[in-house]
Amino acid sequence: MTTDPLLKVTNLTKTYTGSPGTIARLLGRKPVQVRAVSDVSLDVARGEILGLIGESGCGKSTLGRAILRLHEPSAGRVEFGGTDVTSLSPPDLKAMRRRMQIIFQDPYASLNPRRTVGDIVGLPLQLHGLSKGREDMREKVAAMLEKVGLKAGQIDRYPHQFSGGQRQRIGIARALISNPEFVVCDEPVSALDVSIQAQIIQLLLELKREFHLTYLFISHDISVIGYLSDRVAVMYLGEIVEMGPVESVLAAPRHPYTQSLMSAVPEVDGTRKGQRVRLTGDLPSPLDPPSGCKFHTRCPLATDICRQRKPVTETVAPGHSAACHRLSENLSLLEGAAQ
Amino acid sequence: MSDPILLEVRGLRTVFDTRAGQVCAVDGVDVTVQRGECLGIVGESGSGKSVTFASVMGLVRPPGRIEAGEIIFEGTDLRKLPPRQMQALRGRDIAMTMQDALTALNPALTIGLQLAEMLDAHADDLPRRGAARRQAIRERSVHMLDLVGIPSAGDRLGQYPHEFSGGMRQRIMIAIALASKPRLLIADEPTTALDVTIQAQVLELISNLRTELGMSVVLITHDLGVVAEHCDRVMVMYAGQVVEEGPTDSVIRAPGHPYTRGLLASIPRAALRGQPIRPIQGQVPDLIDLPPQCRFLDRCPHADKDCRHLIDMHPAGPGRRARCIRTELFQTERAKA
Repeated sequence: MTTDPLLKVTNLTKTYTGSPGTIARLLGRKPVQVRAVSDVSLDVARGEILGLIGESGCGKSTLGRAILRLHEPSAGRVEFGGTDVTSLSPPDLKAMRRRMQIIFQDPYASLNPRRTVGDIVGLPLQLHGLSKGREDMREKVAAMLEKVGLKAGQIDRYPHQFSGGQRQRIGIARALISNPEFVVCDEPVSALDVSIQAQIIQLLLELKREFHLTYLFISHDISVIGYLSDRVAVMYLGEIVEMGPVESVLAAPRHPYTQSLMSAVPEVDGTRKGQRVRLTGDLPSPLDPPSGCKFHTRCPLATDICRQRKPVTETVAPGHSAACHRLSENLSLLEGAAQ
Repeated sequence: MSDPILLEVRGLRTVFDTRAGQVCAVDGVDVTVQRGECLGIVGESGSGKSVTFASVMGLVRPPGRIEAGEIIFEGTDLRKLPPRQMQALRGRDIAMTMQDALTALNPALTIGLQLAEMLDAHADDLPRRGAARRQAIRERSVHMLDLVGIPSAGDRLGQYPHEFSGGMRQRIMIAIALASKPRLLIADEPTTALDVTIQAQVLELISNLRTELGMSVVLITHDLGVVAEHCDRVMVMYAGQVVEEGPTDSVIRAPGHPYTRGLLASIPRAALRGQPIRPIQGQVPDLIDLPPQCRFLDRCPHADKDCRHLIDMHPAGPGRRARCIRTELFQTERAKA
């Protein structure tokens, strides 16, 4: 879509190999392989927010971590600002991490309970040699705390002395203190109460403007994604099934999975169009993914071809693509939303 | 069956004694549940919504205790009931499903055994003893799993909780709760841990079963969207108190309390792209030694000196009550807009 993407991911795959139990090994069974992320390609332009949506276990967090090489990708390429991240040596990767950061979902588990806020937020400065001595570091941390809506005077407190929303602010301060260009926001508001969630979303948008950031925003909540993203990518069982500008994807979703996801969200103001789409069954096990189109086991529109052949990704509107065998038929599960 | 009120809680006060002082988790809460209705309880963490219903179920344990109030279920004050009778009633007449199905089910017992345990304790229409009773319990268990939509139920009775997905576990817990055909089901955040597509399935299941079995449902949630779609009436809780209650449509259309307004304004929606959302500033007050004033005062954009005294619930339209001195103002403002 854009000529100069900040981040370019090409055919990224992440496979986890489970170690078989002793008995299974003695019986000569092969180790189990899970393809958590399968052949994903996407671009993120500078200054953009790409929303990544999907249900638990679809591989969205794994994708975010594989991009940062927090989990080593099994295949594929990640380019950041023109540099191939996948082939960087450890010292170069460390330098690159200053520019690429992550905010985690769980504000309780992602902060070391034995370190003060000053130590936690100051650590990236130390690691990347960005401060001149202890006093300078404390000053920078204090300034960052003020930026994220905490008080400079709270610098010597421990994580347990803060509420969930405040801890998420600490996590944000830690991610932003090294002055990165790109941040993976991995479900940063999912663990928070509604009123606090809105505060954090507002803060992330303000900080994005102030520091000229680019976000990959991972969420299972289509309302949050719809509110803040420029473009959205929908994941199902390790694959991107639909991607495009948020107005286009949410106004006219073309993949039956996106359609059912949207219709499943309870709306306060009765804005949902048409009947609710009933998806039956659970997410299939990624250990044994369905043949053909991975969504066919739950798709109300599935036919024989969907069970046999994997659909290719086609462009359906400017910058908007989807992978479904029945795209050309222009079917919609959402009454009143059909094109 | 003539009395339309199934459960009435009056002036409930539940406190927890901690080293830092007494935490008043539920402070003067009144709840009325009509027969056959679905009542939604909305509130954020620490609002007292779960503790209120744990109190109803008699599940509050030290350091917590119920300090005051009446819990009238079908004419009987549950607080005055001897423990044995309360135990018989709990599960049989009022059942509760917990938020986290993985920790609420016993991981070491098969789900068949956990269902049978419930039926053995509470179902009184089964043969008294012997093989006939065991057979009846098995049949009823299979029936319950069928009812909540678990495929090949007969084969799955011998499986353990870890062999089921999150959505399935939630269904199993609902099956266990409903096995004794209770008159009231308290569902504590039944879908919070679930994905949206599964959430839709579970909520629809609860709605269908409510109609089929003619029971009342109390749905505890933090999601106003869920309430809007599934509940006849809603009660909004904040810092241990009810701040607003009334018919769902009416409350959502014209909220009478600034907290309800704030909650509604906090929900991000694709339709609001580009417009700033107006989050409620600040955070929930500490529940220890609260001053005698409006508890939302520090976060309220409309607060002034008149809010610095105790504020009672007062009428706010048909079937509605709110705990704010400016309710009428909000509602006329709303009518003009």
